Amino acid sequence: MNGQKSLGEVLQSLPKQVLYIILIVFTSVPLFFPVKVPNQPLESSVDLYASLMAVKPGETVLFASDWTNSTRGESLGQFNSVMRILMRHNVNVVLYSTGDAQAPRVAQDAIAKLNEERIAAGQKEYKRWENFVSVGFFSNGEATINGMGTSVRSSFNGKKDFAPGRGLTDVYESPILKGREKVSDFPLLIVVTGSKTSNITVERLSGKVPIAFAVTGVMGPETGNFYQSQQIVGFASGLKGLYDLEGLMEDGVNNPDKSGNIAVKSSKYGPIPGFPGEKNDGQGKRYYPTLHFAVGLLILAVIIGNIGMFLSRAGGRK
Amino acid sequence: MYPLFTYDGIKVTCGVLATVGLYSVLYRENKFYRFFEHLFLGLAAGWTLLTIWVENLKGPWWDIMVGVPPEKAGDPIGNGNWAYILLLPLGLMGYMVFSKKHNWMSRIPIGIILGLWSGQQIQIWYNTYGKQIAGTAQPIWPTTWSSLTVPNYDKLQLAPDALAAAKSQVYLSQAITNFLFLVTVVCVLSYFLFSFDAKSKMVKSASSLGRYLLMIGFGAIFGSTVLMRFTLLIDRMYFIWIEWFNNIILNRH
Repeated sequence: MNGQKSLGEVLQSLPKQVLYIILIVFTSVPLFFPVKVPNQPLESSVDLYASLMAVKPGETVLFASDWTNSTRGESLGQFNSVMRILMRHNVNVVLYSTGDAQAPRVAQDAIAKLNEERIAAGQKEYKRWENFVSVGFFSNGEATINGMGTSVRSSFNGKKDFAPGRGLTDVYESPILKGREKVSDFPLLIVVTGSKTSNITVERLSGKVPIAFAVTGVMGPETGNFYQSQQIVGFASGLKGLYDLEGLMEDGVNNPDKSGNIAVKSSKYGPIPGFPGEKNDGQGKRYYPTLHFAVGLLILAVIIGNIGMFLSRAGGRK
Repeated sequence: MYPLFTYDGIKVTCGVLATVGLYSVLYRENKFYRFFEHLFLGLAAGWTLLTIWVENLKGPWWDIMVGVPPEKAGDPIGNGNWAYILLLPLGLMGYMVFSKKHNWMSRIPIGIILGLWSGQQIQIWYNTYGKQIAGTAQPIWPTTWSSLTVPNYDKLQLAPDALAAAKSQVYLSQAITNFLFLVTVVCVLSYFLFSFDAKSKMVKSASSLGRYLLMIGFGAIFGSTVLMRFTLLIDRMYFIWIEWFNNIILNRH
């Protein structure tokens, strides 16, 4: 041995700090050069969009916001997209959280930013109490969601939110909760989550109210089971689901553009309009191309590692 | 005003420092990382404690027990519900688990919770898996040979009745998919036959195939997990380079 490493050994022994720096470069540089990635939305994403658009204006939906900044990369974009659709469609929202104590505050901050965006665009403010109420955090998700299956009013008993000019007031005094006692009085329950609260919701409320999810990529495969067996009406999974949703907000479904082209076709639905010209792009468009670079790097690393292993083995046999 | 010196600028800069601090562990364990780790845990614990009091105990329990104070002068005070005090000793009994002498008391609230939880399990199991089990019953024989694959319904432009009839058919490609699905279910289930020693060659082969199919499934799940971790890293990079460096330091929007 002359003490020098062979090429195979060099390829297999890159310092991990070097790999981290390469990864940081690959996940940073593309952010400055956004490109559009061609995309065909998944059926589950189309179903989520269609179920959101099927809620009649003026109706109130239940919205479990069970994510915090730990899954901001996926969940914030999903939350923003779903909220933008509901806001533009004049649907009221009852926000609650069973996943994390920080979740209600994070959701309220996100709505505040969306409101700034609406006001800047000359649109109507989405007002607390009149358009949405924040019921807050429930420390025992199983018991709360189980209770909602019997009576939403009982589950929300004692919960308060800020009413204009009145301070903290019982949430059931809000006009958007008037006459809505049971979970079946709501046309849709949406769960944006980075934890297992989606499973708990299916366990306790499946069949009692149409349920739609926006989940992180990790949860996508297990959520697919619920979707395939029609326990939920639609879902967006991870960054791909978010990118789908942002595209659907631009193009709609079976919705011809000015030149008569239909970007997204589906035999399940009639024409569903999009919101062209409005701010539909968000984290999906910003992060999705970069994700491709990161995955490309991963594949490259696997190939280099394998080449290194084969070269080392070949060298060892000589 | 230069954005770095605004409230948002200071807030985002603190976030960047925390992000860099937490990622510094990738180089090696260090005090900078430890500081931000403890800061994060302390903030999260403090926030959770406050939230549980404000949102779970005060409104739904304390206010109801002591009575609602009048909203404005002259309004009557709401009646208290003294019976809610009975929940307090029951809750405190849970903490007796830390006492060697009185830890038997903790079994009472734990027993109540376990009883309630167990009582729900049959319904929960059925709600979770009932429809999925029913969904495994798929036709594996085609009902039409007019097309080998599922036709593109959008191009056919059929009347609603004809479209519904076309959709109700099982095409060869669907039948093959369903057959593969059924084989997967049976093989995977056979892998979990631990109650007896499988000597049949067929059961052994099915079990072995089930193991490989499980690994393919786990691989797909792991792939999704890797994508999500990448996304979280991309989000942090966006936070540092665009939200902080570009928008605040360079003051470009």
